[in-house]
Amino acid sequence: MRNRLEALCRDGIAAVAEAQNADALQEVEVHLLGRNGALTAQLKGLGKLSAEERPAAGKLANEVKQALQKALEDRRAAIDKAELEEDLAGNGIDPTLPGSPMPVGGVHPVMAVARELEDLFSSMGYVVWDGPEIETEAHNFDDLNIPGDHPARESHDTIWMEDTPEDGRLCLRTHTSPVQVRALQKFGAPLRVVAPGRVFRQEAQDATHEHTFHQMEGLVVDKGIGVPHMLHAMNSMLEGIFGRKLETRLRPGFFPFVEPGFELDARCPFCKSGCKVCKGSTWIELMPGGLVHPNVLRAAGVDPEVYSGFAFGLGLSRMAMLRYGIHDIRWMMSGDLRFLEQFPA
Amino acid sequence: MKISLNWVGDYVDISDLSADKVAELLSLHTAEVEGVETFGESIQDVVVGHVVQCGQHPGADKLSLTLVEYGGEEPVPVVCGAPNVREGLKIAFAPVGSKLPGNLKIKKAKLRGEVSRGMICSERELEMSDEHNGILELPEDAPIGERLIDCLGMVDSVLELDNKSLTHRPDLWGHYGFARELSVILDRPLKPLDLEVAWPTNAGDWKLKLSDAEGCPQYGAVEIDLGGTPGLAPAWMRNRLQAVEQRPVSDIVDITNYVLLEIGQPTHAFDADTLRGRAIEVRAAQDGERFTTLDGVERTLDQNDLVIADGECSVALAGVMGGLVTEVTDSTTKILLESAVFHPTRIRRTAQRLALRSEASTRFEKSLDPAYTEQATARFTKLLLDMRSDAKVLSAPQVEGDSNAPHVVVQLDPARTSQLLGIEMDRAAMTGILQRLGFGVEDQGQELAVTVPSWRATKDVSMAIDLVEEVGRIYGYNRIQAAPLDAPVTVPVQQPLRLLGHQLVQRLVNSHGAFETQSYSFLDNAWANRLGLTRKDFVCIGNPVQAEVELMRRDPIPSLLEQAVGNLRENPVGRLCELAKGYEPVDGALEPQERRWLAVVEWTGKDTPREGQESLFARLRGVSQDLMRSLNLLDNLKVTPVSAEDSLPAWAHPVQSLNYHVGETFLGWSGRVHPQLQAELEFERADVGILLLDLQALAQVAEQAEAKFTAPSKFPGIKVDIALALPQAVAYDDVVGAIRKSGGKFLDTLELFDVYTGPGLEDGQRSLAFRSLLRSPERTLSDKEERKFLQKMEQVAVELGGNLRS
Ligand SMILES: [Zn+2]
Repeated sequence: MRNRLEALCRDGIAAVAEAQNADALQEVEVHLLGRNGALTAQLKGLGKLSAEERPAAGKLANEVKQALQKALEDRRAAIDKAELEEDLAGNGIDPTLPGSPMPVGGVHPVMAVARELEDLFSSMGYVVWDGPEIETEAHNFDDLNIPGDHPARESHDTIWMEDTPEDGRLCLRTHTSPVQVRALQKFGAPLRVVAPGRVFRQEAQDATHEHTFHQMEGLVVDKGIGVPHMLHAMNSMLEGIFGRKLETRLRPGFFPFVEPGFELDARCPFCKSGCKVCKGSTWIELMPGGLVHPNVLRAAGVDPEVYSGFAFGLGLSRMAMLRYGIHDIRWMMSGDLRFLEQFPA
Repeated sequence: MKISLNWVGDYVDISDLSADKVAELLSLHTAEVEGVETFGESIQDVVVGHVVQCGQHPGADKLSLTLVEYGGEEPVPVVCGAPNVREGLKIAFAPVGSKLPGNLKIKKAKLRGEVSRGMICSERELEMSDEHNGILELPEDAPIGERLIDCLGMVDSVLELDNKSLTHRPDLWGHYGFARELSVILDRPLKPLDLEVAWPTNAGDWKLKLSDAEGCPQYGAVEIDLGGTPGLAPAWMRNRLQAVEQRPVSDIVDITNYVLLEIGQPTHAFDADTLRGRAIEVRAAQDGERFTTLDGVERTLDQNDLVIADGECSVALAGVMGGLVTEVTDSTTKILLESAVFHPTRIRRTAQRLALRSEASTRFEKSLDPAYTEQATARFTKLLLDMRSDAKVLSAPQVEGDSNAPHVVVQLDPARTSQLLGIEMDRAAMTGILQRLGFGVEDQGQELAVTVPSWRATKDVSMAIDLVEEVGRIYGYNRIQAAPLDAPVTVPVQQPLRLLGHQLVQRLVNSHGAFETQSYSFLDNAWANRLGLTRKDFVCIGNPVQAEVELMRRDPIPSLLEQAVGNLRENPVGRLCELAKGYEPVDGALEPQERRWLAVVEWTGKDTPREGQESLFARLRGVSQDLMRSLNLLDNLKVTPVSAEDSLPAWAHPVQSLNYHVGETFLGWSGRVHPQLQAELEFERADVGILLLDLQALAQVAEQAEAKFTAPSKFPGIKVDIALALPQAVAYDDVVGAIRKSGGKFLDTLELFDVYTGPGLEDGQRSLAFRSLLRSPERTLSDKEERKFLQKMEQVAVELGGNLRS
């Protein structure tokens, strides 16, 4: 018994010393001290010994167990230390290898601008709303104070639907402005609303012209609304797009659904003394707007004697082009991944 | 439109202002100036020269050898080929180093052996006219060395205005209107037009008849004997016309153009001797009537067009262009000058239909002040008589019909005006601005009664808000200070569909590597057939941007497939998504229905497996399920393979397509695109699949779905792997159903981790291996529960016609 225990101790310590890694050591441990291990087997033999022999053998078995445990512990510490050292030495590791591929996607640049602005105006208490893209002539033109014989209605400017009755013609909306009246009809005054969306023109395509593009309409109707409020809203919008305050100026512009009508120019965000974008003038024309024409308020069922309002229209496609330096609008609707990939979400 | 500042300067003093300053003033107060040009810039190097010596060129008969003095330096030798070059002549001289139009640079040259240091110019070389028979002869007193453009009064600045910004201002289609604007902006006096003519007292004998009173409510005519044939207009007039890019023709034509550009009123001079019957009738054209305009083109008219006829036939297309037969020619000695009021829309329609937009039609379509007609007649006659001493007006001007601008009086509340503009302005200042613009102002205490001048009353100004604009723009919009809204803050109404769309796109982009795109709403007519539909199933465009592209898409899939094809060459693998509308005609309703879709298209190599986790089919299902999970819909989601009874879109694969439902609500499809359609669209080495979700339906079911927390069990579970060898034909869905049904209450998660066919299995069998988790919220489970579960699974396998593998 004594001999077998001593042999077990000797062989065990040797096996521990030979274990080269944590897994091997674990195996050795199970073999020596596990439930079905060598020491357990020896301990079972204790029962067969006489009462006089038993205490000494038990003591020895205990000593062997402790010796083995100590050896295992030391060996484990040595292995851990070696592994740590090896890890820290970093042998054969090339830290310049590329990162693992992750799914990459992107948001369309026009949509990115639109959503940012929706959030911005939402935070200022504006409703985000929209209307149909196939619009009635009444909503697209009549309600917006655009005279019946206005050239914009003609087929070289507007895309008309086929086979609609003369008094109920349908067109692809040429601007987001019909949402002014639609939103007022739905919510009444007072109202703050922005309406982003797709608009259409009968237009031959080139680098700066598209028949399909995106706009965002803004409208505020309340008591006591005046030009300063409009200017503030427009400035906020530009701040949202360009990430900083831009110097702006208002000048006359003509649109039938506003009076007075304006064009808002901003100091060119790309230069100090003139560049290609601003054609050397340091001003770029950014968005039209104006006080809502009383006829439009009336069409929407709002009393222009009580309420006044302002509206503005932003070319989302154009803003995205300016912001990202896109020089050809035709990329926008191309679906070309070489374009879309450049706008990570 | 081009505006000469010299011309404007006739009526308001702007001599102290730079052209850029004038441009800025107009842009800020009136209408956008798009550019400032300097007239004469191209010949600014040319100077007055003096031919001090002129002799025969020793080597060429037709050339002269001259010495030209041009200020400062010694006279230089110049070879000249013009017949009219002679000693003592003052000429236009381009010295060595100067530039001529067409970027022609003058260099020292040797002509037939003689040195020439400069060039004596003809009018054509200076782009002043087509004259090239000889050199330009300058007045004897022209100062040697002076710039030619100074000598000839050709220095001018020209502003280019955006016509679109003038459409609502019929008063701004001539120089005088701009002079008025500047006089108001600068608060300087406006000089009146010189309209003084000593008219003869005898009445004219032309029979004027207005047969289409809507088309032409007023027609004026005056007959003038030119006292000779047409000649050359004086240089000052030609310079002005050229400065605004109006080509000089003859003095008579030039004056009509001059009046048009000054007042804005088009007039027309007929050769009076070519008109028959001393009669003029303005009438609607006959349908199919043929008429040759003075550009020599024969045009076919219809009854909406308006013509001027003499005693026999049409002689002019009213308001658009004169006729070839009656136009003023070199031999004309008498003219009949027309100055009339024409219906704006009629003129525009005619000009547009005939693609013949002229300076005249552009103005008539703006609703001109009827008072312009009389002014134009007088201005024309005044200029003509000043220029041609032998000319004689044959009778007092005749006018048939009577058209007046509406008499408009508008009540204006100065307090509200200030409030709307956000400026402090007293009523005196407001009154001043309006009066300078020509408005009559009567202060009635609270309000101002404002009478609109005829040139602003035809369509431009009719209500108070129009006057707010006048006050504001003259005050200066750029002086208005921004102010935030003073309004209560409330939670704004949300449009759930928008938010849902954004959320799902963001998920697709962030988690699934999709690129959001935008594609056209129109489809090529060929798509009707491709989709097994007819034109009637689509909303159609009457005037498509591109021929044969007349269908409004019902959903975004066709357009996305086209974009996918377009990407194949550069990107053999990709995933695009779009939030877009589809359009469907609605039976019995005028307005179509617009449906919002979320569409995904994904393409990959043709060698991608048809089945299994890597397959296009499974990936798109995975994407859909993840989207549903993000909306908390996964637990109630029913995914079912399409069946023969489903009405399936033609782009869908008849087997590898899935329907998605929550409860009874149909949400959309995913799956591969029908191989026939793929072939037709030339996907060739690619395979393509789609996912299409109806946002309306999704929003409906998503509204009630909310995440709910369940506390995880405190007790560990038992992981049990099972593999069922079953006949191939048994669908995964049915296997899972059976396991769930029999698995007992402790069966928690069940996850497919392997699908196997091959050695070890019988023919026609496949093995589905699942990792299952048994767990109780109340206690730790024992071996007993595990054994019981395995027995159940054995039964399930046998019931499904196979066995449980161990
Ligand atoms: Zn710039």
